[in-house]
Amino acid sequence: MLNAKSLQTHSERDKMESVEQMTLPGGLTVLVQPVSGVESASFSFLLPGGSAALPDGCCGAAAVLNDWLFRGAGPYDSRRLVEELDGIGLHRQSSVSPEYLSYGGSLESENLFRALELYADILLRPRLEEDLFEPSRQLALQELEALDDDPRQKVSVCLYERFYPDPLGRPCVGKEEDLRRLTPLQTRHLRERLFTWSGAVLAAAGKIDTHAFLKHIERLFGEVPPSRECPPVLRAAAGGYQHFPNPGAQVHIGFMTEVPPFDSPMYYSIMAACMVLGGGMSSRLFTEVREKRGLCYAVGTRYHSLRSCAGIAGYAGTAPDKAEETLSVILSEFRRLRNGISQDELLRAKTGLKSTLIMQNESTSARASRLAADWFYLKRVRPLEEIRQAIESLTIQSIQEFLDGPYGRKFTFVSFGPQPLQTLQKKE
Amino acid sequence: MQFQHTQLENGLTVIGEVTPTAQSAAFGFFVRTGSRDETSSVNGVSHFLEHMLFKGTEDLSSLEVNEAFDRLGAKFNAFTSEENTVYYAAVLPEYFLAAVELWCRLMRPALRTDDFDVEKKVILEEIAMYKDLPEFQVIDQARQLHFGSHPCANSVLGTEESIGNLTAEQMRDYFRRRYAPNNLVAACCGQFDFDQTCRLIERYCGSWQTMEAGRSLSYFEGTGQQCRQTKEGLNSEHICLMSPSVSMQNPRRYAASLLSLIIGDSTGSRFFWALVDPAIADTAVMQCEAMDGVGIFSSYFRCPARNRQKVLQIVQDIFRELAEKGVSEKELNAAKNKVLSAITIESERPMGRLVSLGFNWVYLKSYRSVSEDVQAVKSVTVDQINELIREYPLHKYTQVSIGPVDAS
Repeated sequence: MLNAKSLQTHSERDKMESVEQMTLPGGLTVLVQPVSGVESASFSFLLPGGSAALPDGCCGAAAVLNDWLFRGAGPYDSRRLVEELDGIGLHRQSSVSPEYLSYGGSLESENLFRALELYADILLRPRLEEDLFEPSRQLALQELEALDDDPRQKVSVCLYERFYPDPLGRPCVGKEEDLRRLTPLQTRHLRERLFTWSGAVLAAAGKIDTHAFLKHIERLFGEVPPSRECPPVLRAAAGGYQHFPNPGAQVHIGFMTEVPPFDSPMYYSIMAACMVLGGGMSSRLFTEVREKRGLCYAVGTRYHSLRSCAGIAGYAGTAPDKAEETLSVILSEFRRLRNGISQDELLRAKTGLKSTLIMQNESTSARASRLAADWFYLKRVRPLEEIRQAIESLTIQSIQEFLDGPYGRKFTFVSFGPQPLQTLQKKE
Repeated sequence: MQFQHTQLENGLTVIGEVTPTAQSAAFGFFVRTGSRDETSSVNGVSHFLEHMLFKGTEDLSSLEVNEAFDRLGAKFNAFTSEENTVYYAAVLPEYFLAAVELWCRLMRPALRTDDFDVEKKVILEEIAMYKDLPEFQVIDQARQLHFGSHPCANSVLGTEESIGNLTAEQMRDYFRRRYAPNNLVAACCGQFDFDQTCRLIERYCGSWQTMEAGRSLSYFEGTGQQCRQTKEGLNSEHICLMSPSVSMQNPRRYAASLLSLIIGDSTGSRFFWALVDPAIADTAVMQCEAMDGVGIFSSYFRCPARNRQKVLQIVQDIFRELAEKGVSEKELNAAKNKVLSAITIESERPMGRLVSLGFNWVYLKSYRSVSEDVQAVKSVTVDQINELIREYPLHKYTQVSIGPVDAS
């Protein structure tokens, strides 16, 4: 009965904070959720396209474009544009994914409309001046170079490249030879592939007057002509194992196994299984690899999904002389999970998933991101109550059904370190 | 938000900021101890001890501790710095008292030798992990060089040698001296009942013995030394500059923090326009770290190794121009807006609020509401910032860079 009061509060809150939706003629869907008791507002654009929409030989064009877009738009030159964005205290993020580009920000709600006016200029009327292209390219090249100084992050990039069907796994940061060949004219044309308005979403959450917000967005984005996404033709993933020689103090190991994507009915079972395996401090990997054996400081797994394929990805960093043992413990835990999870593990996973859900709700930025992601992957917004019930109805059996599928039967591996991992080389 | 506080007879302070409409609650123990309170023979013990608290008590094993937190759906962890060790958990309101109770029990850990031996291996892996992160290395080493013989030079992680030689008995001794109730603050935020929480804390912590847990406090300007290191396999040059700044006790810390944004925020700052916009460096940031009785401005740059001299020259020009002409009203306003929106966003989550609430008490023995912070930021003037630049000369910095072997 402890939960009764808070459940009631949740459903009252849900009603007050219902999501309004509008789709503009150009294809942009607008989702807005007013939040009570906050002063901030956040927004998130997800524009379908992304780095996988690029033709061969242009890897990294998305990263370059993402920087170039902010070097002047509409009536503002480069300096004025940044001054305008900074002047309203906007905390902004932009990122490149294989299937979309995203632009978002958080700020005090009274400046939200102004921020979106500026984003209408950036996304619809960027200046993309030729003489400002080179610094954008140089920054992309520098970031690519700097990735070599961070093997832990590079593991992820290389892991996705081998795991996902090409071109979905191509590194969003780019490839050196492609970046060097890119021209301003070509990049300007690629914009049409990199982000499209059909299927695009703008989500906002916070202290927002829904009606006024929708009118404002209609004025800013109502005239956008439709543009269609051309989904890439997929080629088989490389998979297998690849080692990259690296003289560091640790061996960095990345591993990934295929599981159903975000829109699967098994989604919540996957999330629960992933938590039991390597999600929290009581997870099996943390317990067996770190707590019992002291093999690693960092070890864990996460779920990573694109629209059509997904995986459970993991990372472990360890001393070269402990790498084989670490790998062997990790693989045996992946196998052991197939025998099922305990009642206590199920309960912990459920509580963890529920509390993450509610705590994310406290941040307007997490809310806006969740709305946008739901729309992008599911073409609808899951009500909180639906998610709560889906978590609540998880059973050992429903998780077992997921574990009996392709999970853990085939792995993709990458490692950075002085020597390749013997166990994996023998398998190749 | 309503603030309440109390102190147990043994000196343990409990502070709370109640927000009845919050959807979660956060709790933290703030221990006033860190690497600056260590001697060289036990360097790294504060951080190692932080790990050991998760290993349980006389009647809780480490596996039981992790399971107990996960059963509460807690977002929990801990961190150690030069002068603080903080343990925290954010949970849904119905689990709050259980989370507080668990932390109270863990604050009197068993410190078993077996657990100590396994965890030592984990700490050595953590040290190895950071060795592979030049961005972390350069800041850590700049701190050591900048602070010289001042205790703030002590590394938080310790070294392979100091950790390798550390014994469980040395750790137990350090624990007895530093985890005295009068050296702790228990902080709570969000939706919770303050009186009920205090009663629970009193029950678990009321019998702990008061002990003298001092700290040597002295102001230090920094050595101003310079060094460059090379490392095989690196691609970029990583540069860190440190110069003196205000302490946490100095009311001008708001001005200092605004100054660091004007100079080195990730967008629209002096560093941004002079270094990142023209692609001379891909990262160029500055922050102000106000500490106990001492403070630093710390800048970090990442650039192609060939640009190292150019970056340093441009930074010197920026510092000179600031000393001669000061900052503009427009720059100050943009920085204020950034800070104000950050305060608003942070204060909307109990976990976001917890750290400011706890540190304000640890350093100042006072409560500062969100609106007081907002007011303090708003009232900073251009003259105050320019005076700060005169008093804490930016060009008197310590410099460390780490880059590839073959760069000239």
